[in-house]
Amino acid sequence: MLDKGICVRFREGDPEAVRAVYRAYGHLVHAVAWRMLRDRGLAEEATQQTFLRAWQASLTFDLSRELAPWLATIARRVAVDIYRRESRRAHDSIDDVASDAPAVVTLPPSVDSVYDAWEVRQAVAELPADEEEVVRLQHLGGLTHREIAERLRVPIGTVKSRSFRAHRRLAGRLGHLQERLT
Amino acid sequence: MTTDDDRIAYLVDRDPGGLDAEDREELDDLAAILADPAMWSWPNPALEDAVVGAIGAVAGTPTADVSPARETPSPSPFGPRRPTGRPRLALLGAAAALLLLAGVGATRLLGADQRGPDEINVALSGTELYPGEGGEATLRRFDSGWEIRLDAAGLPRLDQGRFYQAWLRSDTGVLVPVGTFNEGRDVVLWAGVAPTQFPTITVTIEEADGNQESSGQRVLAGRVGAT
Repeated sequence: MLDKGICVRFREGDPEAVRAVYRAYGHLVHAVAWRMLRDRGLAEEATQQTFLRAWQASLTFDLSRELAPWLATIARRVAVDIYRRESRRAHDSIDDVASDAPAVVTLPPSVDSVYDAWEVRQAVAELPADEEEVVRLQHLGGLTHREIAERLRVPIGTVKSRSFRAHRRLAGRLGHLQERLT
Repeated sequence: MTTDDDRIAYLVDRDPGGLDAEDREELDDLAAILADPAMWSWPNPALEDAVVGAIGAVAGTPTADVSPARETPSPSPFGPRRPTGRPRLALLGAAAALLLLAGVGATRLLGADQRGPDEINVALSGTELYPGEGGEATLRRFDSGWEIRLDAAGLPRLDQGRFYQAWLRSDTGVLVPVGTFNEGRDVVLWAGVAPTQFPTITVTIEEADGNQESSGQRVLAGRVGAT
């Protein structure tokens, strides 16, 4: 959690404070924006807009609260705006839709799903690097323990222990998992 | 390769076969998040300077950079919270209050008498590097700054570490970078300085070599008021 002084200086547009806030939360904003928008370029645009809007609205921010959930809320709103803009751009006219095309209604991601992604991203970022790598290879790469051991050139027991510790940490960080582990 | 069941088993450290449907659904959601490349991504390092630059430009503090961004202001789109009594992730507890906070969305509007034009069109001409080339830029004012839509479809694509960079320049020679791109079709940039005060638009060829200064290799140039 950033100290109050940083938040005060952020309000003032102090470049060093803006940089500190970005370094603390920029990767989280970017991750949830990318998850929502499915486009890296749009995610970068959303990230910049999120911090700009946060600064513009910073006088309304209660300094006794944590900055992270406030930024997450703004990030979602910015991403939804961009999402809607891009949706409009992609479907300018009903005449552009083929007569036999199925009707498709695309809804913006829910508030909950954005917070979930934010929390998971933060939890992953807080893992030790060797554990984060194992979790990444398991979930993103879809590799088994044995495949990870071969990839990392470490004993399979090491992979299993890293995996176990990492998922324990994730469970501790992500409350809704914790209840299932007890 | 792992199966979905394998990944759920990692998360709960036991056979997922005994999970009830609701538990399984939430764990599937979590597994899907963890399998999303976005969750493992890191933003372009240049974005940090862009964010600092964008805020600094609007705040009036000295800055080094302003990078591309777009915005279409719209009302708060928040929908209803998920109606569940089950414990969710930690951030959810404060969500309702945060929605109110963010919904205020206070912006620092310019006074109406200070606004000047809200939309400016600029014709761009090719320099000696691209003689005969051309394009146009449309600059639109938003509360957050100036959106610059640039169309120069004839520019050849640059990539593999080479890119185009657009700049706004004041009459005293101060350059403000307003974004980078690979090809000239349908480019949208963002500036935190007013084109009425930085009336010359240029586009240069740059390389990702860590040097933030302009290369001086201008390919397009135009000036507010020249059209």
